[in-house]
Amino acid sequence: MKRELRLTVNGQPYELYVKPKTLLVEALRKHLGLTGTKRGCESSSCGACTVILNGMAVKSCSILALQANGAEVVTVEGLADGEKLHPLQRAFLDYGAFQCGFCTAGMLASAKVLLDENPKPTEQQIRECIDGNICRCTGYNSIIRAITAVVNGEYKEEK
Amino acid sequence: MSEYSVIGKPVHRVDGPAKVTGSAKYTFDIELPNMLYGKILRSPYPHATILNIDTTKAEKLVGVKAVVTGKDTLGVKNGVWRRFPELCDEEILCRTKVRYIGDPVAAVAAVDEDVAEVALDLIDVEYEMLPAVFDPLEAMKEDAPQIHEGVERNINVTRRIEWGDVDEDFKKCDFIREEQFYSTPQAHLCMETHGAVADFGYDGKLTVWTSTQSNYFIQALLAGMLGMREGDVRVIKPPSGGAFGSKFELDSAQFCAALLSQKLRHPVKIILNREEEFTATKRKTPMNYHVKVGAKKDGTLLAKEVRVITEGGAYTAMGATALYLTGFYSSLPYKWRSYRYDGYRVYTNTAPASALRGFGAPQAYFAGESIIDMIAEDMKMDPLEIRRKNAVTPHYEVPGQAYIQSCGLSGCYDAVEQYMKERGKLPANRGIGIGNYGFMSGGVFNWFDTPYAFSAAMVKINIDGKVDLFTGACDTGQGSDTALSMICAEELGVHLDDIRIHAEDSNIGPADLGAWGSRQTLMSGNAVKMAAADAKRQLTEFAYAKLSPNVVYEMDIKDHWIYLADRPERRVSYFDIVKEAIRAKEGQVIIGRGHYTPHLKGMVSPAWGFGVQAVEVEVDPETGKFKLIEIFTAHDCGQVINPVAVLGQVEGATMMAAGGAFCEDQPSDNGKILNPSIADYKVIRSLDMPKTVAIEVETYEPEGPFGAKETGEGLTSPTGGAIANAVYNAVGARIKDLPITPEKIFKALKEKEHQKGKRVK
Amino acid sequence: MIKDFEYLAPKTLKEALTLLDKYRDECKVIAGGQSLLILMRQRLVTPEYLIDIKGLSELNFIASDAREGIKIGALATHRAIEKSPAMKNGFSVLGEMERRLASVQTRNWGTIGGNICHGDPAGDPAPVLIALKSTLKIASLRGERTIPVEDFTLDYFETALEPDELLTEIQVPLPLPHTGTAYSKFNIIESDAATVGVAVSLTLGSGSGVCKDARIALGASAPTPMRAKKAEGVLHGKKITDTLLREAGVVASTEAEPISDIAASAEYRRELVKVLVARVGKEALARAQQA
Repeated sequence: MKRELRLTVNGQPYELYVKPKTLLVEALRKHLGLTGTKRGCESSSCGACTVILNGMAVKSCSILALQANGAEVVTVEGLADGEKLHPLQRAFLDYGAFQCGFCTAGMLASAKVLLDENPKPTEQQIRECIDGNICRCTGYNSIIRAITAVVNGEYKEEK
Repeated sequence: MSEYSVIGKPVHRVDGPAKVTGSAKYTFDIELPNMLYGKILRSPYPHATILNIDTTKAEKLVGVKAVVTGKDTLGVKNGVWRRFPELCDEEILCRTKVRYIGDPVAAVAAVDEDVAEVALDLIDVEYEMLPAVFDPLEAMKEDAPQIHEGVERNINVTRRIEWGDVDEDFKKCDFIREEQFYSTPQAHLCMETHGAVADFGYDGKLTVWTSTQSNYFIQALLAGMLGMREGDVRVIKPPSGGAFGSKFELDSAQFCAALLSQKLRHPVKIILNREEEFTATKRKTPMNYHVKVGAKKDGTLLAKEVRVITEGGAYTAMGATALYLTGFYSSLPYKWRSYRYDGYRVYTNTAPASALRGFGAPQAYFAGESIIDMIAEDMKMDPLEIRRKNAVTPHYEVPGQAYIQSCGLSGCYDAVEQYMKERGKLPANRGIGIGNYGFMSGGVFNWFDTPYAFSAAMVKINIDGKVDLFTGACDTGQGSDTALSMICAEELGVHLDDIRIHAEDSNIGPADLGAWGSRQTLMSGNAVKMAAADAKRQLTEFAYAKLSPNVVYEMDIKDHWIYLADRPERRVSYFDIVKEAIRAKEGQVIIGRGHYTPHLKGMVSPAWGFGVQAVEVEVDPETGKFKLIEIFTAHDCGQVINPVAVLGQVEGATMMAAGGAFCEDQPSDNGKILNPSIADYKVIRSLDMPKTVAIEVETYEPEGPFGAKETGEGLTSPTGGAIANAVYNAVGARIKDLPITPEKIFKALKEKEHQKGKRVK
Repeated sequence: MIKDFEYLAPKTLKEALTLLDKYRDECKVIAGGQSLLILMRQRLVTPEYLIDIKGLSELNFIASDAREGIKIGALATHRAIEKSPAMKNGFSVLGEMERRLASVQTRNWGTIGGNICHGDPAGDPAPVLIALKSTLKIASLRGERTIPVEDFTLDYFETALEPDELLTEIQVPLPLPHTGTAYSKFNIIESDAATVGVAVSLTLGSGSGVCKDARIALGASAPTPMRAKKAEGVLHGKKITDTLLREAGVVASTEAEPISDIAASAEYRRELVKVLVARVGKEALARAQQA
């Protein structure tokens, strides 16, 4: 029997009816059409499905959609402000911090949470924050460089 | 170099904005109206006859629209080596027997994935078990079970490469080393699994969206399997979540989706799950190496003999090429007076082994670079010195095989030597190991439809000066869309954002063999450059007439200005000339055409990339665990097109190669892979990735566009050997079978202690 | 694919216990679901009813008391424990262990209670809690009971929890003076599960430096997390030296019952126990001397 689910995604409130077994990633991708967040495995190991839930980076394949009832979710689609890209997105472009791009949504979510919690992380802390996100293309170091550039203030927002 | 306006400078990938905003739609994301979802039923047995398949219960399940089996196919045996029919041995949907755990036997299309999955359980397959064989050495025996009809002792392909007289030369050697090595299987682990959306229309034409390395191959193979005309099959490649060699053969998702869609005239989507990805797609060829090298006491390498037996798995796939290439790469990057390679590819009832980034090179160089260090130690020679002394040089011919034009190895050795000097003396339990390589920049061999490798491209200049670039090259994440756009912009004298590339659609793009064999920068790049030059010529002819100089001058275009080469102040605007040229041609847009086929370049490749890598490790002698501390790579890819992308390729390839050397493996038991999930298949993550330093050694490759060569595949070659050498240098444990695990190092150290103890007694 | 189920989200502990009492073997409890959902996706676990207790805020707390030590609600997330200011001094080993557990994402949603109830012998929390002499509070409609952590896991993925019971709290007593506790796990990939995990807690006599009490807990070395009691006996009443710690390690390796699997052979796991017990013991000693 389907159940009611209310949540806010990228600042927009939604009301859905989902089967209880629906995973959060399925609700986001299929019910809301937000396909930026991907799935790369069935064992909760790859991190491609990472989104931000109530300010925390979580694997959306490992959360029932109903557990996100009342929650605020941010996905990659919610990072840019209209046409203005988030500093992390700009840094990823400048530093080539993606190649095939399939892990990128999850990487950005993990990185954003880190910087929201701790604006001056060490390299070790940056590596820890994306350790749950597998990238098969870049070898990670370009991603570290991109995040570090944001930390170092290279993308200060113009007020 | 500052003489270039576009290439050689860091740029944003042309597909970047879509990828960082989540708006890029991969095959994984495609949803079409009336689309059905498919799932594939696979054999749980490694070797069995299919006696009967009863699909009635599955067909009756509410929500199931169709079930297909081998009986619904034309029975075509598919293979990429199409010019050699005996190597086309894979039906995909098996008709009479299954040959590995995971071999497809049926496929279902249903209203959603859940129903499709339930339906699989309702299909009754009656199998009769056959004896199975998993080890290639066992499979070669006279009494081994026969996997393919008519293939004796399961020997699928053999290869020999030879020059000189190794037996004579070994007699002249002062030092000889003979060793066995083993290289494990490895999974590609693309973040986007194999998948396809197939839409067979009522007009009898098929469209397939799929994550692929070659629209061209998939179009032809699918047409062959379905009995269709190639031109009626349209293959579209959306942004792709990685391939690494796993996606240029026809796979079960593509074929089954197409077959189901053909039956139903509805779009059908099949995305493989991660378990299928690990067990039922092609994987890196496991290889058993027997190597013998000989040298003179002055350090000259004289003779090398190699015998390789590869575990082919159930089908040929691209394994025949891997067999040849591993034998070829076993000779590089050194000059051998004599060389002999014998390779055997043996069928086994295991997952089919094919191409994984490096395509036989990582295996060859693991063995080759390990044994070079071993014989160097015997001769008390420095590992860098022995390599430098014997390395191939520009204009060297690998006898009867290949001709090397540009070669930056010498500069790479200088860089590594400098790096190691700066590293200085290392603390205890740390060691640096070296590996080097030479790698093809564009596989020449074409076993598909013609003997010629080729690429083609087209450039169309519109009235506003915007340029449409048409190519069949595939961007699987490696950045070819950007690199080719840059080459086009450079040649045409415009900016990168004037170029709009069309590379996804077989209906639109000219033929290109695709992204494998490291061919696209050089081959597709040359075709693009030629097309741009053709379009440019049409514009400069116009401009010439407009400027009407008194003396004959060369003309060129740079930064939207068309000018006399020796008198650059005499110039006209590109935009104006474009408009005038089109007007004068009665509204026809400017079209430039280009193509490339290597001429007289031998059987392997027209150009070669090189590199030398130094890996530093720290070993914990009490447990055998080691940590990668730093990896330094000196790399020669000729002219760098996009420096950000090149660095990304260095680091990404190194990570994949390092993973293959110490933590990635597919242990199996009676043909069953024991770790078919990302939880159990270990890969390097951000905390495991060491610091990487990469420097480019500049060379100019005459065969390449603007002197460019491949980057990104060759770099998987040196790391395995370098890590093995580093561990040996750190603690004296020599590991010759991958992966180099802590347990193996621990055992080797214990054995060493034991030997020392014995000697003391 | 997950099999369909009926979803129930009780608002209080009492409600949850009532549901458990009603449905027993027909239901499963989900907290963070970081382990459970993997099993459900593979259809290894197919409950008719899923009771979601993630929202029971009464079970989500970390409370420290100067006399009683720390009480951690079963629904405290790994991340909350990792970041909690209560994880200092004698309890710092808990925060350190959590920091290396899986990934940030898993720690943000997964709970310590869920981890312990999963009964994985390779889990990180159990050996540490055993070394810290922790107990578990378990509730049902029938009442409450406590059980030491070391007695909780009965076999691979099997615990002493009855079908109508819920783990509510983990009680970590205040360590005695001059006690130091440390934990380390061996793996090849940094964030991976333990191939072998070892927690050691040493209590020294004041002034004498002689070991008054020792706890050596092993993870991924047997069907359940276990105490290496004979090895503890080696250290009891003695002055701790490197040699003695190595001896304890050797004894512990004989008590362990490791398996051979794709990660390591049983023989190698025993070798790792030897090495880790000595190393972790040395770290615990240093902490005890500073405490």
